[in-house]
Amino acid sequence: MQTKIYLFFFLIIGLSLSAQEQKMTDAEIASFKQDVNVVAKKIKTLTTDFVQYKHLDFLSKDIETSGKMIFKEPALLQWQYKKPYNYSITFKNGKILINDEGKKSAVDIGNSKIFARINKLIVGSVSGNMFDDKEFTISYFKLKGLNLAKFVPKDATLKKYIKQIELTFDKEEATVVQVKLLESSEDYTRIVLKNKVINAKIDDSVFTN
Amino acid sequence: MQKSTIQFLLINCFLAIVLVSCGSVSKNYKPKKLDKTSYTVPYFSDSKTDYVYKTNISVYGNELSGIFIAKKINDTTHRIVFTTEFGNKLMDFEISENDFKVNSIVSELDRKILINTLKEDFRLLLKKEYQLQEQFENESADIYKSADGKRDNYIFISKKDHKLEKIVHSSQTKEKFTLFFNSENNIFAENIQIIHQNIKLKIELNYFKSE
Repeated sequence: MQTKIYLFFFLIIGLSLSAQEQKMTDAEIASFKQDVNVVAKKIKTLTTDFVQYKHLDFLSKDIETSGKMIFKEPALLQWQYKKPYNYSITFKNGKILINDEGKKSAVDIGNSKIFARINKLIVGSVSGNMFDDKEFTISYFKLKGLNLAKFVPKDATLKKYIKQIELTFDKEEATVVQVKLLESSEDYTRIVLKNKVINAKIDDSVFTN
Repeated sequence: MQKSTIQFLLINCFLAIVLVSCGSVSKNYKPKKLDKTSYTVPYFSDSKTDYVYKTNISVYGNELSGIFIAKKINDTTHRIVFTTEFGNKLMDFEISENDFKVNSIVSELDRKILINTLKEDFRLLLKKEYQLQEQFENESADIYKSADGKRDNYIFISKKDHKLEKIVHSSQTKEKFTLFFNSENNIFAENIQIIHQNIKLKIELNYFKSE
């Protein structure tokens, strides 16, 4: 009797898990990619609030920071952390500009291939347009009201930094609502994007430290 | 004439500095009768607390910032992780009095001299118990001397509120590095500075509460 109850529970758990994350069919993948690309192509500028959760398996609580992200085509990007500290990082013309509580610095990344890659990846993940089969092994899933794409880097150097990237898309809007960067199976950074504003006028002068 | 006077003064000043810095570190303090044989540091000792600090490292004019995380994972060992503000892990260590393990480190920082320096700094930062051999005082603090191999640690406890203010790690003749603590409640240090005297390295930790 007891075993039967356990079996029953396992069955329920198994069912609910598979209901959460379901593999897309080829047709679904094609239509999902098309939806995202159509929207991504329309994005000239993007601003969004974000909350970042750093998860390390040995900590009792995720480390939470939050702020605002601004993107302008083709590759101007700024992350402003506002809580619990003021810190901004701007990607601009092969440079990283940092403002750390008023202390300003700049790093030239012109020669750093790995940084250029990571930069492209961040821009791609925010706009959602990073379905590059040459760079990643990609798998597609659907959840309730959401689509999920998982990217595993093919490049060994990149893989040392990021094991996997997971982008969650709102099904209706076809825009990214969550970015999850996995360093290992236990440690990851999860960034939730909300209050998105698309194509508002943003001046280039914003992208400074 | 005037020129040689200035030179003479300069040389004297220089000599004075050399002489002071060559003498035993405790020379500047007044000896006192030892009032206890051991001291337990209150900071970093709670295994339920995630110790999370915004960190600025300044090394030979270069600035590096990120997040410093320390957690007591068992009776003897702390896990220490340093990440960027984005969350990328730069270093991941496990450290106790006698053991040290590098779980991971990015290749850019994987230098023996850096790892050894940080190991020394963090080991002292997380050290819980000190055996005391001598005591001194100055105007504002009681100063305890604790032997550490060939070197010594000088522990400064403020006279006013009995808080741990700083720990000076020194050889027989010279201060090597100093830990400064700022704590409201004497359980938790909100601000910590690790300043090296022999190399240009300064690490500043500022506690932040995640919402």
